[in-house]
Amino acid sequence: MTETMTKIAEMYKEVKPIVEIVYTFDSSGTLKTQIEEGADCDIFISAAQKQMNQLDISAAPSVNTDGLDFVDGDTRFNLVENKVVLAVPDGNPAGIESYEDLGTDKLELICLGNDDVPVGAYSEEILTGLGILKKLEADSKITYGSNVKEVTTQVKEASVDCGIIYATDAFSAGLTVVDEADKDQCKQVIYPAAVLKITKNKEEALAFLDYLTTDDCGEVFESVGFSMVK
Amino acid sequence: MDWYPLYNSLRIALISSVIVFFTGIFAAYYIAKLNRVVKGILDVVLTLPMVLPPTVVGYFLLLLLGTKRPLGIWFMENFGVKLVMTWYSGIFAAAVVAFPLMYRTARGAFESFDENLAYSGQTLGLSNTYIFWRIRMPACRQGILAGAVLTFARALGEYGATSMLAGYTPGRTATISTTVYHLWRTDNEGLAFRWVMVNMAISTVVLLAVNMLEKRKGV
Repeated sequence: MTETMTKIAEMYKEVKPIVEIVYTFDSSGTLKTQIEEGADCDIFISAAQKQMNQLDISAAPSVNTDGLDFVDGDTRFNLVENKVVLAVPDGNPAGIESYEDLGTDKLELICLGNDDVPVGAYSEEILTGLGILKKLEADSKITYGSNVKEVTTQVKEASVDCGIIYATDAFSAGLTVVDEADKDQCKQVIYPAAVLKITKNKEEALAFLDYLTTDDCGEVFESVGFSMVK
Repeated sequence: MDWYPLYNSLRIALISSVIVFFTGIFAAYYIAKLNRVVKGILDVVLTLPMVLPPTVVGYFLLLLLGTKRPLGIWFMENFGVKLVMTWYSGIFAAAVVAFPLMYRTARGAFESFDENLAYSGQTLGLSNTYIFWRIRMPACRQGILAGAVLTFARALGEYGATSMLAGYTPGRTATISTTVYHLWRTDNEGLAFRWVMVNMAISTVVLLAVNMLEKRKGV
């Protein structure tokens, strides 16, 4: 999101010069906690429905366990979709070719997001579906990063044999992707966006969210691997 | 409860402390004899890791020891050994950040040492090694002991540089500090709190032991 949203903010300066966009980029779990703790913020874009649900009073109580009411339900919509991929460092030193390969001896160390990070939750889903998660944990083959950028850096630095990240992160880091998770392996990765109830700039926030659905922004998103949600 | 982080933290802290104890003392001893300019420069360089944020130290160490970096490549080609993302990567991190503590306290202790004691030893025909270990060290033991305690405490509590060099692999590179961070991130507050208690227990025991040691020697 960092590269695309930064570019879009620059584009928006041409559209509405008086609006200044200020970003906080981090894992969805951290952002959700920041909003909960009272961060001054107008819009929230999450990498998964979970964190948005946890702040949305209209979500099921089993998901929004603390009954938090930060999201303006009327403004919520699905912005883009991402794919969960298996990425390897330059030259693929361990010769990993697919998700199935993770269960073999080819793998010594893999970096995943921890389960507080959406991509971590998806990674767990994929590996559990393949029946290899417990074995990897028992063999101490998993190292955890606290957000997807950290996982990406570990792969890029070749500190690990491979990592599970988003297609967009692999793209921006120039990493080789050896496998993609399809709909059956893990839930679709939808990024929801919404205006927050504590906003003092509702009109402008809505206008910006509207702008994100235009073709110009669509091009920016698609250029890094996202697909727009129609 | 998985006790690996305790075992790993303790062994990293102990090994780093031993390394730093000797390197710090010898650095302090030999550098004190150098001329003022060289001594001043070395002082700054060797104290830097204490003053820099641990993440800066960690980043710098990664630039040296990472798999695609000069030392990392050299070790991999000649010994087949990876320097990062292993449990012993924690030793590099802890030793580097704790070194200045031992170095500075030893320097302070040696500088307040009465050199006449050493000279007397020499007139009596004692070797320099004997003078160092049997006269200088015992006379400076308060300062040396303080340095050693600070070193161990710092090594045990190392987080930033360790997290960057060793990552967080449960059962392999997890330390108490990285485990608590991970548990907090994944909303496992009960277990995180238990580790906090464990760490406090260890620290208390160490400090009590040191206190008792100091009292026994009398002042």
